[in-house]
Amino acid sequence: MVNVKIQNMTRKFGDSDSDSEIIAADDIDLTIQDGEFITLVGPSGCGKTTTLRCVAGLDTPTSGSVHFGDRDVTDLPPQERDIALLFQDIALYPHMTVRDNMAYGLKIAGVSKKERYEKVAEAAELLQITEQLDKKPADLSGGQQQRVALGRSIVRDPTVFLFDEPMSDLDAKLKRELRPIIQQVTDQIDCPVLYVTHDQEEAMTMSDRVAVINEGQIEQISPPEEIYNQPATEFVADFIGQPAMQFFDGHVSRDNGSTILEIGTHSFDSMQTNKLEGYSNQTVRVGVRPQHIRVNGSQNDGISATHILDEPLGDQTNSFFETEFGEVVVVTPPGFEGKGKKYSLSFTTEDILLFDQDSHIRIT
Amino acid sequence: MSNDSSSTSGVLGLDHETEERLHRIVLGISGLIAAFVGIFPIYWMAQNSLVTRQAVLDGPVLIPSPEEVTLSNFAIIFNNDVVMYFFNTTVVTIGTIVSVCILSLIAGYGLARFEWSQKENFARFLLFGYMFSPIVLGLPLYLIWQSLGLLNTRVGLIISLTAISMPFSVWLMWKYIQTIPRSMEESAWVAGASRWRAFRDVVVPQTKPSIIAAALFAFAIAWNDFTFAQILLPKNEATTFAPGMMRLVNQGYNIGWNEIMVVSLLMTVPPLLFAYFLQDYLLKGFEIRSL
Repeated sequence: MVNVKIQNMTRKFGDSDSDSEIIAADDIDLTIQDGEFITLVGPSGCGKTTTLRCVAGLDTPTSGSVHFGDRDVTDLPPQERDIALLFQDIALYPHMTVRDNMAYGLKIAGVSKKERYEKVAEAAELLQITEQLDKKPADLSGGQQQRVALGRSIVRDPTVFLFDEPMSDLDAKLKRELRPIIQQVTDQIDCPVLYVTHDQEEAMTMSDRVAVINEGQIEQISPPEEIYNQPATEFVADFIGQPAMQFFDGHVSRDNGSTILEIGTHSFDSMQTNKLEGYSNQTVRVGVRPQHIRVNGSQNDGISATHILDEPLGDQTNSFFETEFGEVVVVTPPGFEGKGKKYSLSFTTEDILLFDQDSHIRIT
Repeated sequence: MSNDSSSTSGVLGLDHETEERLHRIVLGISGLIAAFVGIFPIYWMAQNSLVTRQAVLDGPVLIPSPEEVTLSNFAIIFNNDVVMYFFNTTVVTIGTIVSVCILSLIAGYGLARFEWSQKENFARFLLFGYMFSPIVLGLPLYLIWQSLGLLNTRVGLIISLTAISMPFSVWLMWKYIQTIPRSMEESAWVAGASRWRAFRDVVVPQTKPSIIAAALFAFAIAWNDFTFAQILLPKNEATTFAPGMMRLVNQGYNIGWNEIMVVSLLMTVPPLLFAYFLQDYLLKGFEIRSL
């Protein structure tokens, strides 16, 4: 078992002289340790699938390298990389039975029929699809098909395990069923795993580390908790978390020794002074998670807001308010009903995250 | 607002049930007409081949009387010329079908999976072949084949028939293979299969419906071809059915109409059987793609 090292990997499309050149992956630097589960997460078109395909060998990077341990695989075709890849559209062979689908990789490797079918039976047992072995893929449900695809991959005992948005085509219930199975399987094989998704819930629940990608560049690679509590940039803060972080424009000023942050009419005066040095009389982006915003009566001190609507979810409610900063979402207790009245929103200094307006990097 | 259900009317202003019935009747009648137009010539051929020469000379009759029925006309099948025509046509047709299927599969795969700068123009250029009727192509082809020594050879005819069947078949394969997701081949590559192996194991089994469609098309062109055979196979020994038939007719009086009808039947029945049995396969092939 080896690690995966992606170094300075760039993938460009189009003519290098023309304006139509697209940089899909820009100087990606990422090391996946042996047994580590890393998720590449980001919006559609951010370059995560391109990166995955370069690791898989289905695409060649324009510059940079990919190593599996000491082996430089950058220019090797997928056939020689000994990887497993799970596709979004599952891609089972419709004219073969489930058993033959799972045995295909071993057949190519020249393993005897008896041994092939034995290994398939083992994997099928693990994934609980033993009864489906004689059926054709078209006779299975989406979740079962994805399990067969998993089985097809583990039977070959791969060096690296790759996932290309495998659960995007499944409904929420199936996703929740499949997640522990994937974790169980990857734990058992214990090889490096690179998982690509646009669903941040999957990223947060399954990974050892999460890499957030935006427009071809990695914004942050950290364990899920760190990504959530200490986002490195505004993009990461906005992307991770449900509902998304709420942003306001704040103004920093100094008032005999202490630093004051003004958001609308509300001001905070116990801000960390050292980090805000250099930001006097400047605007910064203020981020607060909807869970940390409190709704008080309109006479209280805070940001004045008019209630628009509620989205009751059972265990919590997402409430929308109109403020001077635009629309703000607040997570309120279940049973909350705003009824279109005026309120005042407040939050504490501990829950504030400040971001530089130009570089979008987190200040505090 | 109240909806008066009795006032809902159809296209002709009558109520729904009557319209349905009318629709079915008209459908049935047009079906019968179409069937008649299709089947009658075959019936006529069969009928004329089963009666004596005298009965044919007596004048056309819809249903022959029993004493006129005879199987003696079928002896013509064993005539040397007819056997030769049948053999040649079969050989040429099988050769054309095999060439068309193999070549269009490979060309279709190339068009579906690879990109190059002139690809669009190349695809359009393929269709130019259909701008020319076979006669226009036949004369220059005669000269070329003569200098290549392919005149009067079955191989020469196979090549030219394959060429005119290709444009349609290639387009068919191209478009059909486009519906097969690339991820299927990619998963075979990841499993260790070479591109050729993945093509053989994953793509080809799924293209059965379009292979059969191309085969049917090639069969129709090759079996019934008159122009190319007439021009490129001037000698009698190599020739196929279509021009052969004409020669039989022109030969004159020792071959009667009823015997000609037998030969016509011989020529018509194989395509019928071919289409009939393969149509099942064609439909079955489409089931697999329901993933």
